[in-house]
Amino acid sequence: MSSKVLHAFALGLALSSTVGCMEFDEGLEGEIALATHVDDWRDEVIYQLLVDRFANGDAGNDHRVDLSAMGKYHGGDWRGVEEQLPYLDALGVTTLWISPVVKNVDEDAGFDGYHGYWAQDLTAPNPHFGDLAALRRMVNAAHARGMKVIVDIVTNHLGQLFYYDINMNGQPDERVFGDGTGGKSEVGHVNEYDPDFDPRGIQAYTSLGESGPAPVVFVYEPASNHVPPEPALFQRAEVFNRKGRTYNFDDPDQLVHGDFPGGLKDVNTARCDVKQTMVDVYARWVELTDIDGFRIDTVKHVEREFWRYFTQKLRQRLAAKGKRNFFLFGESFDGNDELCGKFTKNDAPLDEEQACVLDGVPVTGDQLDSVFYFPQHFQAIRDIFVDAKGTKPVEALWSARTTTWGTTPAEGGVGVPPSDIPVNFLDNHDVPRFLWSGRNHVGDPQKGLELALLFQFTEQGIPCVYYGTEQGFSGGNDPGNREDLWGSSYATDGRFFRHMARLAAIRKAYPAIRRGQQKVVWATDHVADEEDANIFAYERAGGDAGDGYALVVINASPTHESRTSFEGANMLVGAAAGTTLVDVLAGGTATVGTDGSTVIALPPQSAVILVPQGQLVAGL
Amino acid sequence: MTVPLSKLSKAGPLFLGLLAFLPRAALAQTEPPAAPDAPAAAPPPEVAAPPTPPVATSAPPAPSEPTGAVPSAPPEPREAPTRAPDALPPTGFSFGSYGRLVLATDARGRAGRDADIVAHGSRLDESSYVELELRRDDAWQRTGASTRVVATLALAAPYFHEDGQFDVNMAVRNLYLETEGLLSKKLALWVGSRMYRGDDVYLLDFWPMDNLNTLGAGARVRATESLTFAAHGGLNAPETPFYQQDVLRSAPLDQFGGVPVEILGRQRFIGSLKGTYLHRLGEKAGLKASAYLEMHRLPEGQREGDPGQFETLPADGGFVVGAQGGLFSGERDTHVNLFFRYATGLAAYGETASPGQLTLDKTTDGAHELTLALGANWETGPLGLLAGAYVRSFRDASPDLNYEDVDELMVAVRPHLFFGESGGIAVEGSYQLAQRGVQAVVGEETNLGTPTGPLTGSLVRFGLVPFLSPAGRGDYSRPQLRLIYTITVRDEGARALYPKDDVFGLRDTEHFLGVGAEWWFDSSSYGG
Repeated sequence: MSSKVLHAFALGLALSSTVGCMEFDEGLEGEIALATHVDDWRDEVIYQLLVDRFANGDAGNDHRVDLSAMGKYHGGDWRGVEEQLPYLDALGVTTLWISPVVKNVDEDAGFDGYHGYWAQDLTAPNPHFGDLAALRRMVNAAHARGMKVIVDIVTNHLGQLFYYDINMNGQPDERVFGDGTGGKSEVGHVNEYDPDFDPRGIQAYTSLGESGPAPVVFVYEPASNHVPPEPALFQRAEVFNRKGRTYNFDDPDQLVHGDFPGGLKDVNTARCDVKQTMVDVYARWVELTDIDGFRIDTVKHVEREFWRYFTQKLRQRLAAKGKRNFFLFGESFDGNDELCGKFTKNDAPLDEEQACVLDGVPVTGDQLDSVFYFPQHFQAIRDIFVDAKGTKPVEALWSARTTTWGTTPAEGGVGVPPSDIPVNFLDNHDVPRFLWSGRNHVGDPQKGLELALLFQFTEQGIPCVYYGTEQGFSGGNDPGNREDLWGSSYATDGRFFRHMARLAAIRKAYPAIRRGQQKVVWATDHVADEEDANIFAYERAGGDAGDGYALVVINASPTHESRTSFEGANMLVGAAAGTTLVDVLAGGTATVGTDGSTVIALPPQSAVILVPQGQLVAGL
Repeated sequence: MTVPLSKLSKAGPLFLGLLAFLPRAALAQTEPPAAPDAPAAAPPPEVAAPPTPPVATSAPPAPSEPTGAVPSAPPEPREAPTRAPDALPPTGFSFGSYGRLVLATDARGRAGRDADIVAHGSRLDESSYVELELRRDDAWQRTGASTRVVATLALAAPYFHEDGQFDVNMAVRNLYLETEGLLSKKLALWVGSRMYRGDDVYLLDFWPMDNLNTLGAGARVRATESLTFAAHGGLNAPETPFYQQDVLRSAPLDQFGGVPVEILGRQRFIGSLKGTYLHRLGEKAGLKASAYLEMHRLPEGQREGDPGQFETLPADGGFVVGAQGGLFSGERDTHVNLFFRYATGLAAYGETASPGQLTLDKTTDGAHELTLALGANWETGPLGLLAGAYVRSFRDASPDLNYEDVDELMVAVRPHLFFGESGGIAVEGSYQLAQRGVQAVVGEETNLGTPTGPLTGSLVRFGLVPFLSPAGRGDYSRPQLRLIYTITVRDEGARALYPKDDVFGLRDTEHFLGVGAEWWFDSSSYGG
């Protein structure tokens, strides 16, 4: 009989008549069985939330909470997420993307690590959000509702855990220079935690000149959790690139090897031990919680060879334990579509990459399943729905995906070509909310948001909604865009909540909108009073959608009624001639002419979702 | 008449419990309430562990709790005017004390250190603690009443000769006035600050059912020879953000600077009611049963967040129900006591604690604590056997399990073998088991292993205590001079309770080798 059994017996005997043994809701002993909870990721509606700001379900973990400052912990936790699952269900959400779960540096320069991107211990849960039992219980509760859970992870960097002792005096100094007058240099400062990039590595110097690589000093301040990182591999200086802060993101060396601004220490992700450890620590989180995917931070700052190794070895390890269709999508915060897409392409690995392989299964060219569609954020969401620019560039952007993104599914991945499954978003925690950006829109910003949501929910890919959008939050740049959702009282009768819930229901009802191929049937550069100003129309059909068909027409003009025709040329669609198309939103109809054309006229800032009358689903 | 100290010292644990039944006059007269060897009663002094809430295992020992001991003869009064007739209790000043001094090593170069992982562990490795009690007794001829003023100073280790610091950790544990026989011969009234408690489990330094530190007033009514009721009400306001908040405001009337203003100042009311029934079984033996109720109320208050932004802290409260049953033989302190206590809400955290794990509405709703305990002593011939045990389950108000949530079990037995009247040897065996509401990857180099569920730690301790007993033999006979050796073996769960680099987290085995002294004499009763 094991000692654990004896312990349980002793306490159980003593307490059985009254309270019973202590037991976590989600039993934490031993490994749990992993399962695949998703059929086709294109069917999902992702909801991105910052755990600290979404819901506070347990005051017991409200350590250092300060609601008066947006840059401090506010008290949200995993139990809060669990308790609000019915709210998300009502919204039509099918997948949660939660902010990082690992233990962070608690505080730095007056700001807290509430967002989760300042990792200190990759193996431990962030106690501000609960414990492993709470996380597991939340995941299980989501699965019980048919929801999936994606966890945000970071491999590029850890928190600000060491400084470069440039002057070798054993303390982190800040040097101020320049007086800002008379044409002299501006006032600036260099912080030994966050000095500017040096391709040689940060150098030490004295009054007599340079003195070789600056020593790296790990800080030890337990009160703010500035303690050496875990796993122990990351307590070795050589595991980090140690080149200082990236200030020019166009410099490939800085991009990949520089510290992330804010002193976040760049990990040398080309090292075999780092690759292997990253797989180990993050596979473990899946094995502990049965989560369904990772959203991966700052992918453009990491070598592609790392992504090949990481994604493939992770998929292989999870598949062996029953977890397939594990979704891996990355964030490349960049408007350059080629740059973003390359993390999904299947390019042959370099021979030397095989040196890191321990299991004998060679690394291939597979990478991520998808990426966050930042190019579209700039060229469509901002340019069309905020700035009312022409829609033609979006057509070009979409069509380029077949060359800029991967076109073959990764082996063991989600089974859909990356180019067919971009993760579409209007805004997120790193950019101002839509209603902030659109506040000076000449039209109605709120209509603009509704229109952009419709676009997001009907285009090819997975819609990803940032928490608070459904409540009309309008925060500006970080951290202004990280409001407490509880301020909304989780109302379900608001304009945007109802609109989004309806879009989710429509998306769920029509396979063409979820899985159909996409073809732009009208786009224009016109933005004035031309006949088709700001019109954008696309079809969703074919592919895995069966005979489903949908035609989406959007007039993004803030002032002008526009139509899908210009100077006698009408929009040609794929629906059969004579087909009666019904707008699932307002019920209007249009008929496809004998030449396959149809003209849809729309008031400013409006849209229709047209489906063949025979496919119309009632009650939406 | 005075009673030989040797006799009084033998009166052990149960004796103090019986004191509650005795009229104050009897105590003041120093007449033993029964035959010298009779009722064993209240256990002696306590130490360490904080009142009720969960105890961090790495926390330093809390200030110890005093114990009333058997009163010895007070000095003769020196002033005639207040001198009562011979029929009345004697008057004057008297001094009492409980003390425990320990000098110990861990046999590895460090000082011996308390290795308990439960709130109330074995007291063999407790640190030094002493109470100095000064009393004034008076008997008033005009009213027939007697009064007593009690002032008790408690001093906790370390002391000057140990750390070289010329200071002291001191607290006033008692400062009250009690009168008896003023309105009724059956009535005692008191006002002041006092330790207010019932019977303890000596081996564990633990008062399982009722144990309050209170500033208030109370009454005790001896309804019959067998039935006594005690009631009390007290107020406190611990200096924590749960109760108090001071903020700076600009000085009024155009004066310079800022002045502190109390924004939050919540005063907590604690009331208690206890009934005790004593039934004689034959000439010396008897049984004792007690029922106990305790109520805690805290009004709502306001706290300031941002300047000018106020939040309301809702009212809070809690209850305790307790029961105790005991038997005593009347011979050589032989007795057994069983205790039950169930506390809810604010009461589950103890009377001076500031709850740290609240509900979202900042109350203690849902918190609860259950305690079952046993204390016993048996003596015959040259043998004695002390025993103590308890099981306790505490859950804070936070809905999820966390470190503050604890289940624990403690069992200890201490057989004595007396060599005549002057000394003997005791051995003690104990087992501690603590389960905390956290997961840990115990025994792994990193957290990458699989969690093991609620962290469970345990330890086993064996102690050897040769002692000299100037007051004669008896498990409760004090003073006592002793050698102490204990060996503690902790498992990996127990080690996991300590932070990195704490030797207790690194070592399986702990030694505690030292010399000690313990005494109690002429301390006052607790009144609970």
